[in-house]
Amino acid sequence: MRLYFNLFKNKLITNISYRMSAIAGILTQFFFGFVFISVYVAFFESGNSDLDLHKIVSYIWLNQAFYGLTYIMLKDNDFVSMIKNGNIAYELCKPINFFKKWFSTFYGIRVANVLLKFLPIICIAMLLPYPYKLEAPVSIMGFALFVVSLIISSFLVTGIAYIFHILIFFTLDDRGIINIFQVLGEIFSGGSIPLYLFPGFLQTIAYALPFRYISDLPYNLYTGYFSINEGISLITCSIIWLVVIVIIGNILTKLALNKSVIQGG
Amino acid sequence: MDLYFKALGMHIKTSCEYKLSSIINFIAQFFVMFSDYFIIIALFSKFGNIKGFTLYEILLCYSIIQLGYSINDVFFKGLDDFSDIIINGMFDRLLVRPRSLLIQILASKVSLVRTSRIIQCIGIMIYSIINLDLELNLIKVIVLLLMIIGSVVIFFSILLLMSGLSFFTVQGLEIKSLFTYGGKQIAQYPIAIFKKYIVLFFTFVIPYGLVNYYPYLYFLGRNDNVFYAFAPLGTLIFLGISLVVFKLSSNKYVSTGS
Repeated sequence: MRLYFNLFKNKLITNISYRMSAIAGILTQFFFGFVFISVYVAFFESGNSDLDLHKIVSYIWLNQAFYGLTYIMLKDNDFVSMIKNGNIAYELCKPINFFKKWFSTFYGIRVANVLLKFLPIICIAMLLPYPYKLEAPVSIMGFALFVVSLIISSFLVTGIAYIFHILIFFTLDDRGIINIFQVLGEIFSGGSIPLYLFPGFLQTIAYALPFRYISDLPYNLYTGYFSINEGISLITCSIIWLVVIVIIGNILTKLALNKSVIQGG
Repeated sequence: MDLYFKALGMHIKTSCEYKLSSIINFIAQFFVMFSDYFIIIALFSKFGNIKGFTLYEILLCYSIIQLGYSINDVFFKGLDDFSDIIINGMFDRLLVRPRSLLIQILASKVSLVRTSRIIQCIGIMIYSIINLDLELNLIKVIVLLLMIIGSVVIFFSILLLMSGLSFFTVQGLEIKSLFTYGGKQIAQYPIAIFKKYIVLFFTFVIPYGLVNYYPYLYFLGRNDNVFYAFAPLGTLIFLGISLVVFKLSSNKYVSTGS
């Protein structure tokens, strides 16, 4: 276990050293946050709606703050090129668990992506004037559930992203079909808009898929869209999904490594 | 220009060699771009209108902007990835050839699988126009064409400006995505729905408004001002400035000799 923790730590330290890029990233997230909120403000000014603008605004800022953590489409080029250029052969010689190694590596990258950015974004967003302000969490319990579900979400999204990566063994192309899966996952995770804004039948589909626990659940727990009781049962579901995803990831890894053929070289 | 079309032919031949891969990627690109339209449709299912604009009006507006972006993405991809040419030293090779720099850069890369985005945009454009119940006449068709051309010109000019910038720093990628991708997010909607300062910025600094708002009002029959109709021509000024900036900064280029 030490080994995998160190892999995680190494990735974290390497990726965290790009301070300038973190600042540029924060500015980008702010820009997009403002754009999205401006659109909603315009929508709300155009007619009455039974929706709550504050909840949507808070949702957008949280999404911007933790984007690097919960972004499904994040692709690791080391992994992709390893499959394409055959370096996977060295990888298989090493006495380490393939799944655990790459899971901790991906996790390190995601945590590094978000570690320098999320606090400044949240602090500044809380100081903004109405209607751009990020509201304080509705209750302490809601906030606690938000933290718990965000941590589970970070593991879940890493697991799902791992599955997308391992599928490259079967498709031998990191774009194409995998791109389609990623885009669908991104939409159904609530990474673009909260799932409660989806039209009827798509909402039903979205709520049945595991992606909803990535962005939609944690942020909506913070904004109070889900009550405490709903939150607890949904978090339980997300843990079950996490176990399922890890099992699927391991099975796919076995299949992929058994069928993989190293072509000479 | 001959050179560019020759290169285009070569790129088409290359992607025909990998048929299945190209077809799958072609379909994938279709999905990738669909998510933006999906968000618009989802929001309209909850809200009904945005500052008086209806769903089909917004879809048409966005498809015009998106079309300009996609055409750049397909045919001028070389300019988009220009910083790579500087980093890997390819630029020195371009300089010694007796052909126009810009044409060589454009010819270096074409992303044909993304033509599915163009097809998608045109499809959505036609679908929205049918649903909008407009009285089309010759002038309106010309205005529509002008808007499309203006949209291509804007994205091309931004890419050109950013390429000029990459002679000095290759760290400008974030800014580029703000101007192109971020600008595209804003220009999905006619810019007048936003606050005043955003409208001013996107009329006079990066002229998205000249494409998706002023002529669009004319196109929808909400304004009869002829100046509004021909506003997309204003983007040519932006193009001119970008060309000058690119030219000046490429003259400043000093090779590292590697």
